[in-house]
Amino acid sequence: MRETWVVGAASNRFGKMADSGREGAAKVALQAIESAGLSPRDIGMTFVSNAFGIAERQAHLGPLVNTALGIPEIPSATIESACSSSSAALHEAYVHVAGGFLDAALVVGVEKLSHLDTMTATSYFAIGADYPFEARNGATFPGLYATIASAYRQKYGTPPEELGAVAVKNHANGARNPHAHFQKEISMETYLRSPVIASPLRLYDCCPFSDGAAAIVVAARERISAPAAEPLVIRASVRTGSIADMHDRPGLTGLPATRRAAELAFRAAHLSPKDIQFLEVHDCFTIAEIAALEDLGFYAPGTAGRATVEGETARDGRLPVNPSGGLKAKGHPVSATGASQVVEIFEQFNGVAGGRQVPHAEVALAHNVGATGGSCSVHIFGRR
Amino acid sequence: MLGPHLRETVGGGANTIEPPVPTVHSIADYQRAYADGQRLRGLRSACGFVTATWGLVCPRCGAADLAEVELSGRGRVVALSVQHVPSDEFVNEAPYAYVVVELDEGGRISGWIAGVADEAAVPIGTRVRWSPSYKPGVQFERDPDPAPGGSPP
Repeated sequence: MRETWVVGAASNRFGKMADSGREGAAKVALQAIESAGLSPRDIGMTFVSNAFGIAERQAHLGPLVNTALGIPEIPSATIESACSSSSAALHEAYVHVAGGFLDAALVVGVEKLSHLDTMTATSYFAIGADYPFEARNGATFPGLYATIASAYRQKYGTPPEELGAVAVKNHANGARNPHAHFQKEISMETYLRSPVIASPLRLYDCCPFSDGAAAIVVAARERISAPAAEPLVIRASVRTGSIADMHDRPGLTGLPATRRAAELAFRAAHLSPKDIQFLEVHDCFTIAEIAALEDLGFYAPGTAGRATVEGETARDGRLPVNPSGGLKAKGHPVSATGASQVVEIFEQFNGVAGGRQVPHAEVALAHNVGATGGSCSVHIFGRR
Repeated sequence: MLGPHLRETVGGGANTIEPPVPTVHSIADYQRAYADGQRLRGLRSACGFVTATWGLVCPRCGAADLAEVELSGRGRVVALSVQHVPSDEFVNEAPYAYVVVELDEGGRISGWIAGVADEAAVPIGTRVRWSPSYKPGVQFERDPDPAPGGSPP
């Protein structure tokens, strides 16, 4: 397999996007291509993610993006894996480039949902789970992650302040990220006062419904003579799955797909958790960040919440987690999220992360989950 | 080779005198079963895994001959979340409790309990029973009867 790099990356500001998904996707795609010092004609294929395109009455986004980029003749494919859509698209791009089928590929994820009311958006999100056996039996998306929190609290006695510490930390990071949906800090008091959405999860445990677009360019090292920016070397690109319905899995306190993906990714990269300097994890809800840090092997079961309270995962802590603000504060435009995690790591590696720059950016990990862990991506990046 | 629950549909011809056996062949069958309140059915795998979710091959062990089992609809709550922001199908029910129930036959199922505003009202371990109604999905209610074997939850 060929050594494969992320050579360009771009994101717009998450939140409420005036552009349509198609416009937002094409704009960030062009920015990502230009950040790589390339032109659209260098791209061999576009992998596009737009899980809820139906909300804009638009499917088959690839040809529209390619046409807007002046490359209508190249192939495209839509990659859908719920909230992990664009990291799944990155994996497909990686497979094609590392395998020699493409020299350079574009990955772009976009979502626009802000024109929907909360109930409609909640109903859309619920179909990412098992509609007849979970959603129709009363589960909402927050409700499913709330059962993880419920089972986790039952097992480890987790106080609300441990969940709150994740929200406070990620908002502090988001406040320093110009791409973030929420660029304001919150206090623990604000967290504790926020209304319950799906007990025990409160408003500030939940990521927002966001619009947004993010794009990355993947290329074979041997085809890039002089990179325009410091590239990310893809040391591991792993996708896994698990039993789709949470209630049918052996336990509820974590995600088996994350555990498996971490194991395979560390093996592929010949690295272990102690080698990772910072990470972007899938914190669609605060409990998801705590479970992810344990499932990925950074903390023993039942201990990541306490470590968060003690500041270990803060921007200036031992192991910065979600310096971007994560899904919680940067926002969660479903299909743009996986790509945007890589945008963050690209900016950190290039030293342009401004007020949220982490002290060491040579080895990083991105973790992106589809729905409640029916699918999962883990990517590990290093320097050339 | 077809599993036993599938064989039932291919064996009988027009001359058979046996009444049709209710089976869980399709997701629509599950949905009808929730609605008619007659039987709650599931599948049991060779490895002992019981599921109330539709499938063809065991997701735990790969066994293809899943046996149909009738579920009593009784069990205990293993996880619970009070839903204050519902989807469109539950717009008139919030707040209610979304629950994961461990059934007495083994296996777990998602369901909901009406009229729960505070999770303290249904602590983890609470015994519940299936309470079919015209409303969507698998509705449960608190079970006043003791657990099988008479032991407290």
